[in-house]
Amino acid sequence: MKRMMLALAVFALIAGSAYAQGTIKIGGIWTLADITGKQGSAAAQMAVDEINAAGGILGKKLDLIVVDDEGKADKAAAAVEKLATVDKVDVFMGGMGSGAELGKIPAFKKYGKVVMSTGAAGSVTVEKALGPSPESDFYFHIHPWDYNQGASYAEGWDAIQKQYPNIKIRKIFLAYEEGAFGKSSWDATKILFGGDNRYIVDGASFKSALFGGGDYTSVLEAAKAFKPDLFLWAGYDADALPLLEQSKAMKFSPGIYLGAPPGWPIGFGSSKLSRNVMLYGMWSPAMNDNNPASAKFYKNYVAKYKEEPATYFAPLSYSAVYILADGIKAAGTTETAPLIKALEATKYASPLGETITFKPSNIIKHQGITRQKILQWQGGFQEVIWPFEAATAEPVYPFPAWK
Amino acid sequence: MVVKRRTAIIAAMSIAATIALILWKPTVLIYGLQAAGLYAAVAIPMGLVLGIVHIVNLSHGEFMMVAAYAAYSACKALGMDPLLAIIPTAIVTAIFGWVIFQLTIRRALKGPELNQLILTFGLAIAFTQTINLIFTSQTYKIPLDYVSASMDIGDITFGTWSFVFVAVAIVYTYGLQFFLTKTTTGKAALAVGQNPRGAAIVGIDVYRTYGLVFALAMALVGAMGALFLTKSAIFPGVGTPFTMKSFCLIAMAGVGNIPGILGASVLLGVAENFLRAFRPTRDWAEIVFFVLIIVVIVGRSLKGRKS
Repeated sequence: MKRMMLALAVFALIAGSAYAQGTIKIGGIWTLADITGKQGSAAAQMAVDEINAAGGILGKKLDLIVVDDEGKADKAAAAVEKLATVDKVDVFMGGMGSGAELGKIPAFKKYGKVVMSTGAAGSVTVEKALGPSPESDFYFHIHPWDYNQGASYAEGWDAIQKQYPNIKIRKIFLAYEEGAFGKSSWDATKILFGGDNRYIVDGASFKSALFGGGDYTSVLEAAKAFKPDLFLWAGYDADALPLLEQSKAMKFSPGIYLGAPPGWPIGFGSSKLSRNVMLYGMWSPAMNDNNPASAKFYKNYVAKYKEEPATYFAPLSYSAVYILADGIKAAGTTETAPLIKALEATKYASPLGETITFKPSNIIKHQGITRQKILQWQGGFQEVIWPFEAATAEPVYPFPAWK
Repeated sequence: MVVKRRTAIIAAMSIAATIALILWKPTVLIYGLQAAGLYAAVAIPMGLVLGIVHIVNLSHGEFMMVAAYAAYSACKALGMDPLLAIIPTAIVTAIFGWVIFQLTIRRALKGPELNQLILTFGLAIAFTQTINLIFTSQTYKIPLDYVSASMDIGDITFGTWSFVFVAVAIVYTYGLQFFLTKTTTGKAALAVGQNPRGAAIVGIDVYRTYGLVFALAMALVGAMGALFLTKSAIFPGVGTPFTMKSFCLIAMAGVGNIPGILGASVLLGVAENFLRAFRPTRDWAEIVFFVLIIVVIVGRSLKGRKS
């Protein structure tokens, strides 16, 4: 009996010591074939490595376990199951497309662990599926919802017109890809810009090159006939250069030429066609000059991966890891309830140029960033035009006529 | 006599419709023809394979995608223009196509048609995933000044570069007609396509001919891959929609009818652009494709039953 007690005591000691020296597991789910997922997961790993090099959290190392959801809802749901049951992760993070995120939600709810979401703007689908507090309190959404983005664009253009009286926008034309992304952009644009009759809004759909299209002539004809002050297209990176080439061929040069794809094609900035094209985004390397957090992130990322972070999903995922780590440190545990409480007190000065805190959105309780930025391609770089406090350049207006 | 009269009526109606479009909405005709050129130039090599080798190659669009990536890699490595990559890409794709044919498709030719479909579908997935692994799903595009070449006629300004696809489609159509009817190899291919057993009896090496025709079709697709790179961004899934579109155009034209593919493409391209030109019908352009196929196939079935 004595021997048995001794063995149990030794076992408890070893087990306890192993637990203390163990790891805090973060389950990361991204679409790895896509640049946003590839660089988002790489940036998250960089944050994990930095935290571990500084001694970890609560005496434990962080361990990021990455699973590819291939951008599909079923694979994303399976990824949550695998991470929760096989890897037994403590918290979840990641995400980009709303479709894949929607697939994860039932499993997220089942396991009830804290989720730090870096994507999914679709409020009608994802936010609705999450539901109101308290059932969705485990979900911390750092990326803005689509209505947050729309509202910030409207705010931005109002501010730009006030600041630069030579920029006058009355007529807006939206060329939108005919899928769910484009259609939701069109619905939001009509409400945000056409709602109070301050702007005259028109639009037409096109089939994105991503889905076998790539002929923009009809939509550009319609836009040219409308004579917009602001021409905005909502499609994918595959549409960016061909759309500009066809615009040039048709000599279509509106006052403002703005693109809103989730990412831009590699080398877009080096093309002459990119000059003075405006865009929506959250981050640009140009912010390194006036944001030390951005400069530090950029320098470390380039040093580690020998490539530039091409989209804002990299600094966003990097920030997500630090927010989680700070929360776990403050809570002293990864248990859901105390961790939620600790994360609610987050004030993280991110490389994205703003301090991330969590406030209620239309449905959920924990919404992080709500504002997007208006940028412009100038000399091959994305310069921030608005918000003015983060601006890195003055806007070039009007978009020059094609030569 | 009846056929001649019908042909004359169709020709007269086509001319009348063309004149009406030129006067009323010239851009419908311009962009319709440009779209038709692209559709036909991709579909014609598939028509050749289907007409002679009798297989529905569900990896057709993926062969074009692989060729476009090969051309892109060559352009980036050597700093060359995609136009200069057309012939080397065609040769490389022909060799690649011949190897794929000998290693895989040839083995399935005697099997049920379902096996061929599954095999080529599998090839399509393998090509897409391999390219995805190597290049990721990120899109690539080579910016080129000449693709923005334009022309002004009155108030209308339109791009002219896409007419290159019309030229290619015409060259493919008449080039293949010439090859199949005037050259010994072409005549042998035609004979194999019409009656493989009979062709074998008279001493034609059927499988060699199949391999040759497949390689030729892949060379044409390869050339299109390099040319496609001038106009479009490329990514692993870029070729997939062209497989289905090409197959449907062949179904509209009738198997073995290469000039018919050109005609079907013009009908499709102009109809799509016609609908896109008007606000209420803009979103219907994608449906016209399926409507035309249903109308043509049902019409052909009814005609067959009557005769």
